[in-house]
Amino acid sequence: MKALILVGGFGTRLRPLTLSVPKPLVDFANKPMILHQIEALKAIGVTEVVLAINYQPEVMLNFLKDFEEKLGIRITCSQETEPLGTAGPLALARDKLADGSGEPFFVLNSDVISEYPLKEMIEFHKSHGGEASIMVTKVDEPSKYGVVVLEEATGQVERFVEKPKLFVGNKINAGIYLLNPSVLDRIELRPTSIEKEVFPKIAAEKMLYAMVLPGFWMDIGQPRDYITGLRLYLDSLRKKDASKLASGTHIVGNVLVHESAKIGEGCLIGPDVAIGPGCVVEAGVRLSRCTVMRGVRIKKHACISSSIIGWHSTVGQWARVENMTILGEDVHVCDEIYSNGGVVLPHKEIKSSILKPEIVM
Amino acid sequence: MMGSSEEKVVAVIMVGGPTKGTRFRPLSFNIPKPLFPLAGQPMVHHPISACKRIPNLAQIYLIGFYEEREFALFVSSISNELKVPVRYLKEEKPHGSAGGLYNFRDLIMEDSPSHIFLLNCDVCCSFPLPDMLEAHRRYGGMGTILVIKVPPESANQFGELVADPVTNELLHYTEKPETFVSDHINCGVYVFTPDVFAAIQGVSTQRKDRANLRRVSSFEALQLPNRSLPADFVRLDQDILSPLAGKKQLYTYETMDFWEQIKTPGMSLRCSALYLAQFRFTSPHILATGDGIKSATITGDVYIHPSAKVHPTAKIGPNVSISANARIGAGVRLVNCIILDDVEIKENAVVIHAIVGWKSMIGRWSRVQAEGDYNAKLGVTILGESVSVEDEVVVINSIVLPNKTLNLSVQEEIIL
Repeated sequence: MKALILVGGFGTRLRPLTLSVPKPLVDFANKPMILHQIEALKAIGVTEVVLAINYQPEVMLNFLKDFEEKLGIRITCSQETEPLGTAGPLALARDKLADGSGEPFFVLNSDVISEYPLKEMIEFHKSHGGEASIMVTKVDEPSKYGVVVLEEATGQVERFVEKPKLFVGNKINAGIYLLNPSVLDRIELRPTSIEKEVFPKIAAEKMLYAMVLPGFWMDIGQPRDYITGLRLYLDSLRKKDASKLASGTHIVGNVLVHESAKIGEGCLIGPDVAIGPGCVVEAGVRLSRCTVMRGVRIKKHACISSSIIGWHSTVGQWARVENMTILGEDVHVCDEIYSNGGVVLPHKEIKSSILKPEIVM
Repeated sequence: MMGSSEEKVVAVIMVGGPTKGTRFRPLSFNIPKPLFPLAGQPMVHHPISACKRIPNLAQIYLIGFYEEREFALFVSSISNELKVPVRYLKEEKPHGSAGGLYNFRDLIMEDSPSHIFLLNCDVCCSFPLPDMLEAHRRYGGMGTILVIKVPPESANQFGELVADPVTNELLHYTEKPETFVSDHINCGVYVFTPDVFAAIQGVSTQRKDRANLRRVSSFEALQLPNRSLPADFVRLDQDILSPLAGKKQLYTYETMDFWEQIKTPGMSLRCSALYLAQFRFTSPHILATGDGIKSATITGDVYIHPSAKVHPTAKIGPNVSISANARIGAGVRLVNCIILDDVEIKENAVVIHAIVGWKSMIGRWSRVQAEGDYNAKLGVTILGESVSVEDEVVVINSIVLPNKTLNLSVQEEIIL
């Protein structure tokens, strides 16, 4: 079985992190974002994953070589020479996706994390016999997104409404599709939107069905949602496989600590924290609702909350870092500094406090 | 004295490196600062052209921390264009501003030069090098420093110095002093005789000896200012100029022309204007002309690359530089800006006090502008590579990183 992951463009909303690596390789819960999806696909028997990309293919290809071997799944790239939107890339990768077997293929949006109930989706797709299945998720504020109006009993999609002003439904497109190869015949090789051009046609023919996604869903393409997404992910991990989470008197709530990370005495870590490979958390540190990426050193008595600390950065002694502070790669916050929402580009030293949210270039 | 036709001169231009400063962001994401165009030519082209005017110039070396491949094309092309050997040398580790020169002394001395010019690439000035060399020969010292008088309030950002008004000898030199010393500052352009290498080596040796002293108490160790610097790290200002001031070895030559340091994108716009003004005197044929009939209306100093297309109904200038393959549409107004390669500016758009990055697109009736304060963080609007400003959008006093599309107006913002 095959799958396509829409990786797309520059990941500008996740800057400064994406100034160092392409977005799919930004770590989430101690794993590159895209690896979460590739592993879920492998688990249900997908043998080949095509990544639709248009930015930094060399970096992606290097990464993929490592993971192809480790995971035992074939990973290829389909490179857009111009941005093709959300449907165009399928046409571009046509030959890889339609292998003549008639099997449906998955399409995933790379910014999404969820529990990936892909096996259930395959069964749903078989049972309704339509041409395409999409996952939808319930949200509190549907008008921020495109709403999918569906018939509750069968899941048959009636129509899509982009950012509706009046309430039409509370289910939105979760960015996970299972499509029959015939869908490829509907897509031309040009910039095309799957939501605006392709799905409405299939829905009109009553061949598009939607399944409500069980479990959590988050688009982690920007820092605020990344932090919320980590909370949802760790919650889910607590239910599925609590042994993966850290425990101890210094741990509060759900905390993920890589085995190669070191945590000192007298720390209080959690809730909703991920600490990456090779990190050193010195004594007396308080961490909550934050991600600490590979190779970071947090010095003694520091306090970090609701922030993301990029690869190989350091946070000084008694520093206080909070309120959506995002440190890029190799950023060094000096001792006793306060950062309130500082967004710091790579290779910087912070020698004076950032009192209100500010971008430091 | 040997006839001057026998005396060769070598010039060394320090170009810095990518980690040496982040102040040139966001433009430095796409190009090494020394290659950023000012008045249509890469920044380092200006001092290199100036060096060409030195009689008996044998060789120009560019020394920096960038990868060799980043300078390969440029060096080959400019050697060809100016018919002078230019070579890029990569420093493997920081040696300080004088240590870098010392590190490559064998190559520099290969042509047995009688004099060596040392220039900083991020200095914008008229580079009066032949006059400086003549003055240096008259003084007969080891080195001559180019100096300029600045408003007293700004002097402490630089190296302040005091010179003898009659002999021009350097009497005193202090780097970035806290209190006022002098309103004359070091321009970052020097000429030396080869004994400068001995002076630099002297500093290294002295430091090594001090490091070997066994009976230094821990209190004394705290007082030694250079205790943490490796022996081969020699700074020109603190280790050579300051100690040798007043010893009849160093002299000064004053320039009455313009001088600026190009540290930020905002300053690069200012310096581009200074060089355009200089072209008005030295090579007016480089500047564009036009009266709005067959070609666009040009006012003030404007450079337009031959491959750029500008609609005749556009009005360009003053102080505008347009790079290769740019397309300027009908009714566009450009004032005090740098338009980089492959930019498309659509009809009736306005750009004032801005730098528009490579391949960007400025939509119809949109407005990209800033207050024009070169020293303020958001005083000049900077659009990075491949930024799209949609029709009728206004962008004021902002910095936009590469690959963004603006479909809503913004003011006073940095957009990542």
